[in-house]
Amino acid sequence: MALRVRDLSLRFGGVLAVDSMSIDVAPGEIVGLIGPNGAGKTTFINCVSGNYRADAGATEWHGESLFGKRPHEIIRRGVVRTFQNVASLHDLTVLDVVKLGAMMATDVGLGERLSAMLRSEQARNALLTETILRPLRLADVADHPLQSLSYGLRKAVDLARALAAHPRLLLLDEPVAGLTSQEGAVMSQAIRDARDRLGCSVVMVEHKMDVVNATCDRIVVMAAGAKIFEGTAAQVQVDPEVRRVYLGEP
Amino acid sequence: MTFYLQLAVAGIAVGSVYALIAIGIVLIYKCSGVVNFAQGAFVMLGAYFTYALTRLGLAPVAAVLGAMLAMALVGMLTERLVLRPMMKAPVVAIMAVTLGILILTRAVCLAIWGPDQIAFPKLFPDGAVNIFDVFITYNYLAAALLSVCLSLAFLAFYQFTAIGLKQRCAADNTRAALAIGIHTGNQNSLAWSMSAALAGLGGTLLATLNGLSLGLSDIGLVAFPVIVLGGLTSLSGAVVAGLLLGVLQAFTDGILTPWFETFLRAYTRIYSAGALQQVVPYMILVFVLLVRPQGIFGRRGTERL
Repeated sequence: MALRVRDLSLRFGGVLAVDSMSIDVAPGEIVGLIGPNGAGKTTFINCVSGNYRADAGATEWHGESLFGKRPHEIIRRGVVRTFQNVASLHDLTVLDVVKLGAMMATDVGLGERLSAMLRSEQARNALLTETILRPLRLADVADHPLQSLSYGLRKAVDLARALAAHPRLLLLDEPVAGLTSQEGAVMSQAIRDARDRLGCSVVMVEHKMDVVNATCDRIVVMAAGAKIFEGTAAQVQVDPEVRRVYLGEP
Repeated sequence: MTFYLQLAVAGIAVGSVYALIAIGIVLIYKCSGVVNFAQGAFVMLGAYFTYALTRLGLAPVAAVLGAMLAMALVGMLTERLVLRPMMKAPVVAIMAVTLGILILTRAVCLAIWGPDQIAFPKLFPDGAVNIFDVFITYNYLAAALLSVCLSLAFLAFYQFTAIGLKQRCAADNTRAALAIGIHTGNQNSLAWSMSAALAGLGGTLLATLNGLSLGLSDIGLVAFPVIVLGGLTSLSGAVVAGLLLGVLQAFTDGILTPWFETFLRAYTRIYSAGALQQVVPYMILVFVLLVRPQGIFGRRGTERL
């Protein structure tokens, strides 16, 4: 297994936000994490990516413990995340943000580093624009300030930043939520392409079930901080417990 | 005409040093949200370090570089030992602490070097160049060139390099920078050390112009009108405002003060107008705050209600 999470728990005062979550992610697998609002999906992602410090449990990434490590240490190991609410940055352009992502890439070999140094700034920018921004339809806004873009485009920039960091595990927090169906289609295509091209694993929190069903190999359902079910899209749809949590059946 | 040019040149020379010091304040403000009252202490300490190193027998260039390096260390230690433990404290408390650092540094310098003005070692040769009948002493020329070049080099570093980009991101939105994997603590340390090094050089240059004393730390206060005029968050604004203030001060000293004194002597029994040029920055400060509180280049703050 690439990612092994065991019995991860985090309590906010009286609320047990994440309750003994365990999850395995295989290399190259796309896992969907779904559940009703307040189920602890984002909190779980925050714990894995180091933004929150879990109270108990274990997080292993290719045998190495990530538990208690800080975000900049975790990102250096190829575990890169995106955010549900994209941050506001006033001074930076789209390309700046993607460059920041590219700086986090650590799997770049010495030879590649040297050749990158020899290349001019323009050439490096052009490379990032072509490989990262073009597939996400961001090439035309590369020099625009982030703040001037629509919500959907800003989410795409966040994904572009994560992809520029050469992720081996992508943690996506609602990449499609709030987007138009067309933007959503571009995003989910980009996620599958990234998996096929980089061979990375993906854990994706999402509410839009058509996207989840079309994108994910396996689905994990959370409710009240705990995992209540995992299986394929077809299995999830007929599971009585999942139906009860989502629809409130007796 | 020559007289006006002469004043303008002197003003630009001093103003460029103001710019250098103001850049440091803006840098710290952008990165850590703290208005650093200790910048004046960094300015003074840098000059004393240069003085001490030349006394040890170092060549002027080595002494200046050594002082900048020492100041970078001082800046970093200030961030690590004072600012970082106070990370969660209210900003006003941190600002009060920087004021404390200013007082402490002045006291330490007073204990070591005494209260008297010290003859600052010659860093640049005596003499002057004559350009179209405008005489510029090497001191002024060197101060202007060094500060302008260093300011521009720093702005280029901030705008075009990888570390500069991380600095900008951390300054723009610290939480976002932290979340996308930037070690914001280290960026903060870097900002403080660069800022202190720039201030140290600024202090050294001012000491070559006006001599070395504890009064050098007052320049930290003059820098505040500069950054308010430029807009608290704009580095290029700090440069422009610094030059502007330097020139205004020179013209006040050369034209307004004599004119005002003639007026006073003719119609009152007051003989001297005192140092009017020291009042100018604060007049500008009040005026800018009344008319355009975000400064020339600043961004108007907006808050969602």
